[in-house]
Amino acid sequence: MKNFPKFNHGRRNLLGAALGAVGLSAIHSSAGAQSVINLPFENGQRNLVAYPEKRPLIVLTSRPPQLETPFAVFNEGIITPNDAFFVRYHNAGIPTSIDPDTHVIKVGGNAVSKPYTLTLAELRTQFKPVEYVAVNQCSGNSRGHFNPRVTGGQLSNGAMGNARWMGVPLRDVLARAQLKDSARQITFNGLDLPIFSGDFVKALEVNHAMDGEVMIAYQMNGADLPMLNGFPVRLVVPGFYGTYWVKHLSEIEVIDGVFEEFWMKPGYRIPDNDCACIEPGTAPAATRPIGRFNVRSFITSLADGARLRAGQEQLVRGIAFDGGQGIREVAYSADGGQSWREASLGEDIGRYSFREFRFGFTPIAGSIDLRVRAWNRSGQSQPMQALWQPGGYMRNVVESVKVTAA
Amino acid sequence: MTVRHLFSVLLFVSMTGPVSAMAAPKVIELPPDGVQLKKSDLPGYAKAQAICATCHSAEYMQYQPPNAARPYWDAMVKRMKTVFKAPINDADMPDIVDYLAKTYGSGASQQN
Repeated sequence: MKNFPKFNHGRRNLLGAALGAVGLSAIHSSAGAQSVINLPFENGQRNLVAYPEKRPLIVLTSRPPQLETPFAVFNEGIITPNDAFFVRYHNAGIPTSIDPDTHVIKVGGNAVSKPYTLTLAELRTQFKPVEYVAVNQCSGNSRGHFNPRVTGGQLSNGAMGNARWMGVPLRDVLARAQLKDSARQITFNGLDLPIFSGDFVKALEVNHAMDGEVMIAYQMNGADLPMLNGFPVRLVVPGFYGTYWVKHLSEIEVIDGVFEEFWMKPGYRIPDNDCACIEPGTAPAATRPIGRFNVRSFITSLADGARLRAGQEQLVRGIAFDGGQGIREVAYSADGGQSWREASLGEDIGRYSFREFRFGFTPIAGSIDLRVRAWNRSGQSQPMQALWQPGGYMRNVVESVKVTAA
Repeated sequence: MTVRHLFSVLLFVSMTGPVSAMAAPKVIELPPDGVQLKKSDLPGYAKAQAICATCHSAEYMQYQPPNAARPYWDAMVKRMKTVFKAPINDADMPDIVDYLAKTYGSGASQQN
């Protein structure tokens, strides 16, 4: 096997650190000519705009901001830079000024004995920090590729990112409030508000919240969180879809029941069966809250329409991830899925992280349908044909990149 | 402000000065909407401008798949009223749905 160029970590972090020094003055979006990108589905034209602390990203919605990462970023490294990390809000009342010295997290609810209020200084100094790399992915990542199309945010594949998170285990913060035996779920609220009603509040089962991995994060890739990614603290729920990663976390409640406000029910529900899928156009018999990621893999070094030189070895690189088992194997096909060979895996920096893969192949002249397929350590993989569900969540079909060689 | 209050403020500033200097408030300014509702002679256009745009920008409509049929737009307008408490008069709802379905959707009664 040849030596492949390694991803370059780090360079972008300098940019993030420089931004952190901006200080008191408001961080504006940068002016300049607006550019446009065409996502590969009908009605896919989008503007690229640089929001505060962000490079130009794909604007799904301006208000509240929903920003998708241009896919080329995923070939820069397995860590997604803070200024390129996707943004997803639900309500337009988003905070534009936060003083970390006065921000507090209230811990209460009807199933704790000792409700209390936690400052950021206390969070940083009175608990033992943890750190790990984890993918955050929007439930509706890739929704625009559904066939038949489904309504909702029409995203391509860039509503995901991989960052090194540092913070405090949620378990330790909850323990201080002394959970009662009646505790069943934990709800999470942040500073973002609806204009009239419909506050974005999410819930996790108590056993999940107490697993020691779910984290209240105050650092992202070694820097403060960007405002639009939840400054000064957000919940990190590794392996779970981004809907649970509540931003600007300000209120935690331990409750003795099941929380079923709009964003838990009917919002963010999937068909309650093994594949989380149904026949297109039908309705699910029963639903459950969306949960853990399924397995995905993407070629990042070649885009659709790339032109290669026939007869010359081509090096290909990409990323794979799953809901936390870790990636065991990635296979590639250069003939549309008829035959498969094993790709080599890059460094393992944690089971919740993107895992790099690489392979080389020598194209023959003509059209080539390149595919990659990953397996996790439980043997779960990706379907060859796309599954369908009305919410447009959890797409994980074996993707195809069509290139030509001459 | 009383003298006693002023003293407390000064004391607070002197005690916390170095810390607040390190952790300044983060302030951002968001760019304006990149997309506006599409102009139309339909009566629902002005009503959508007055109601829908209060809470969100027009990409929410403009980027839906072109085959999004009337039942989708109907369900969304109802959701905005019942879940998000948008102040929509029942009498205005058919006009708003009609504008959205014809301007951004297939306008048909069934999804293709």
